[in-house]
Amino acid sequence: MSLVLNNLVKRFGPVTALDGISFEVERGQVFGFLGANGAGKTTTMRIILDILRPDSGTATWAGTPTTDVPRRTWGYLPEERGLYPRLEVLEQLVFFASLYAISRKDAAARARDWLARFRIPEYEKRRAEELSKGNQQKVQLIAAILHEPDVLIMDEPFVGLDPVNVSLLKEAFGEMRKRGTTLIFSTHQMEMVEELCEAVVLIDRGKLVLGGPILDVKRSSGRQVVRLGVEGDAELPWLADLEGVSIVRAGVDYTELDVRGRDPQDILAAALARGERVTQFLIADPSIEQIFIERVGRPPSEDHHLATAAAPAAPTVAAR
Amino acid sequence: MSPSLATTLRNIVAVARREFLWRGRTRTFKITTLLLVVVGVGLALAPVIIRFIDRGSTGDRIEVVVGDSNPAIDVPGALGLLLNAPIPGLPTDGDTETDYRVEAAADIEVARERVVDGSTSALLVLDRTAAGDLAFTLYSKDTFLSRTTQLVRQAASSIAIQDRLIQAGIPPIDQAALFAPPDFDVVAADPNATTNGPQTGEEFVGSFAISFVLSILLFMAIILYGQWVAFSVAEEKNSRVMEVVLAAATPFQLMAGKVAGVGGLALVQYIVVLVPSAAALIFQDRIASLILGGSSDVALPEGISISLLAVFGVMFVLGFALYAVLYAGAASLVSRQEDVNQIVAPLTIISVGGYLVASYAGTGLIPIDSPLVVILSFVPFFSPYLMLTRMGMGTAAPGEIAIAIALLALFIPVALWIAARLYRSGVLMYGQSPTPRTLWRALRAR
Repeated sequence: MSLVLNNLVKRFGPVTALDGISFEVERGQVFGFLGANGAGKTTTMRIILDILRPDSGTATWAGTPTTDVPRRTWGYLPEERGLYPRLEVLEQLVFFASLYAISRKDAAARARDWLARFRIPEYEKRRAEELSKGNQQKVQLIAAILHEPDVLIMDEPFVGLDPVNVSLLKEAFGEMRKRGTTLIFSTHQMEMVEELCEAVVLIDRGKLVLGGPILDVKRSSGRQVVRLGVEGDAELPWLADLEGVSIVRAGVDYTELDVRGRDPQDILAAALARGERVTQFLIADPSIEQIFIERVGRPPSEDHHLATAAAPAAPTVAAR
Repeated sequence: MSPSLATTLRNIVAVARREFLWRGRTRTFKITTLLLVVVGVGLALAPVIIRFIDRGSTGDRIEVVVGDSNPAIDVPGALGLLLNAPIPGLPTDGDTETDYRVEAAADIEVARERVVDGSTSALLVLDRTAAGDLAFTLYSKDTFLSRTTQLVRQAASSIAIQDRLIQAGIPPIDQAALFAPPDFDVVAADPNATTNGPQTGEEFVGSFAISFVLSILLFMAIILYGQWVAFSVAEEKNSRVMEVVLAAATPFQLMAGKVAGVGGLALVQYIVVLVPSAAALIFQDRIASLILGGSSDVALPEGISISLLAVFGVMFVLGFALYAVLYAGAASLVSRQEDVNQIVAPLTIISVGGYLVASYAGTGLIPIDSPLVVILSFVPFFSPYLMLTRMGMGTAAPGEIAIAIALLALFIPVALWIAARLYRSGVLMYGQSPTPRTLWRALRAR
């Protein structure tokens, strides 16, 4: 029982959105889907949901092509949030549930239950357009889970949420996971991935860059991060003599090192051998963000920052 | 994907239900419907209302000043006869016919004042030209083309002819006999022809007016409510709720549900407006007699039969469904509501074309039996208009009508399939403008 994507290709005119994407999501997994904007995440999700059809390649759930899987298998939270602006919240939820063969009465009861759990029971009779963006997003999530899907697919679920709602959503994730729901979501926020996901894939420009259980991914880089702090000398120039060690960040408190192809214990041994008094020593895998930068060549949230400004234009000389 | 029939039906019903109930509950819908009912009944009763307003007057008064022209005949008398005589071959309506009263007057200026203040509708002044012919001047507030002006003009010609005859020495004869219209029949050249179109005024009104009115009803429904369907697709696309719905239902289900929901509500509004209006039209004589006194009969308008109404009902629903489906498919190709009108324009033009050919065929501008009309009366886009016109004119065999209906009914699933294709490719295509190439790709897309 798993979701298997095999060699998906999708072109939009001259643009190749997906260029042979293959990966597998185990049932019950929390699965992170990483990539910069335009990498092909949304297209992949739409293909899984049969909103789009691939030019070639297959997507199967438990061996059945996703086009033939009952629709109620899936729950979907799209990135572009969409509710009927002038329809009452409860009416919307009942409508969406009715598309999954849930009776109106049953749907209304479930919807009220979820609204209460997300702490917005009083919005039941409000029209969607009257709700704040965060609350609309909660309603949208409820719409996606009301029919208790086997797989919940979410496109950037954390975007636009305040910290309170982020933690609400994380709790909801945990609950659904306990029920055995497979959770697939895309995100730019790498700390979410490290916190929540058991497995990830990273795609860039339509191609799979890496994928697998998160620990394997972290170790796949073949390097480790070491934090070393010693009393007094903050410079640690002797580290440059050790082969396979490079300084990532020199700080006052500690120095962060990139260790490749040798045992990090050597560094501790070397420090002690030099008579340093070690205050900090920490061995860790590189963060997902570091791996992202290493493999893609730019940070995942690059789009969140302004590009380098053009050189200021020479002052124009007034005519006359 | 091939969802089960039950799933498909369930989703179509769910989508249609939402569209129907939500739209039907809006205040805009209720107010518009009420307004349309008032306007429809008002229009139907317009003749009665006008007569009620005019009940003080006994007809149109026309004053005649003979002056020094010294005609050889009694001009006011002759004018009265001519104006009130039925005109052969043209539709007459005994109830709305104006009775003209012609009176002689002496003073031009005083009579002209009465025209200005409205107590007299026109003043005819006679004079003689240098050649000795009668010359007429009509003082009126009407336009040159008004019915009264035209009738007076015709009558004046007749009076001038009689005056010339007398001047030429031919003795005057009884005016009533002189101005009586001759018998005049139009007979089909081909003795085997079923009909040559309407032969008498009554037939003309019956067959032409009925098919004309039915065509207009269909035409208005397509233009007005086709836009509803198109806008509802564009609106949903704008709120991007489409993607959520598409994850749960197929484009085909969504499309069919939308057309059924919006179209169903449109039909409900149409019926709510039409029934009281039609009732007002049929019972207007009864209503008039209640308000104005007198008695009259209630009857279905000439030329309407139950079978014609039944065929109209079927053609109307099928024709509307066909256009509504294609309007929805077209609208899914644009991302902004402002672009909806442009993208549906070709469909609107096709609909206008069908309507125009039908009204030309109905009035005889295009022979009802011409190959163009006969062939188009089987083509799904045009058959609702043309087969109905041919049936109203009595030139369509029952078998032909059945074939046209069957072709129309068969074409609707094809249109749905095309529209669902356009929809699937169109709904996630934001900001791209549809070109023939993208349309072609959309149709071939898997």
